[in-house]
Amino acid sequence: MNQPNHPDEIWLGKKEYSIWTDWRVNGWLFTATIISGASDIMFPHWVRQCPVSLRAAIAVAPFLAVLLWVRSLAQWIRGMDELHRRLMLSAILVATSATFFVVMFWHRLDVAGVFPSKSGASWDIATVGHSFLLMTCFYFLGYRVCSRRFR
Amino acid sequence: MKNCLRELRADKEWSQGDLAQKLGVSRQTINAIETEKYDPSLPLALKIGRLFKRSVEDIFEER
Repeated sequence: MNQPNHPDEIWLGKKEYSIWTDWRVNGWLFTATIISGASDIMFPHWVRQCPVSLRAAIAVAPFLAVLLWVRSLAQWIRGMDELHRRLMLSAILVATSATFFVVMFWHRLDVAGVFPSKSGASWDIATVGHSFLLMTCFYFLGYRVCSRRFR
Repeated sequence: MKNCLRELRADKEWSQGDLAQKLGVSRQTINAIETEKYDPSLPLALKIGRLFKRSVEDIFEER
């Protein structure tokens, strides 16, 4: 019988870690982050001079990559055994809800002018890159907490 | 739930890894079931029963 997928296969530093599996599962997430970061850098200068349709395409490109990432993640989770599927789904629930909470909380503080803004720099973390960085941290935290009771 | 999976596995002289492979799950899942930290789903419980030629009630019982 085929071996089921294991969450440790994408956990850097674990014995079961496989760079190929990590790329297969998270490749689109990496692509989304790169596109988002690049367009954030280019938006104030180069992109603003482009036609609206091109600007819109650049703005939504990371979200298309995120949808493809969700698809590959779902396929990978489907290949897990029931215990790990349950742990993964719990960790993802923790990660998404905690990220949503932090991003909204931070945004409210930013809008209220709590953070000092010098030279027009923004403190807003509601970007694809920031959100996925937070989500990754919360995922590992959530997985660690959820898997503790089954060790 | 209480279960006698460890005893059944020992009778067959299988390791947790062997049993995991036969059932198509991870070794951690077998360990979690044996230590009664995780209750398997009905399909997995039936699979275990079929593998050991026992009924689910023979292997698993409520605390």
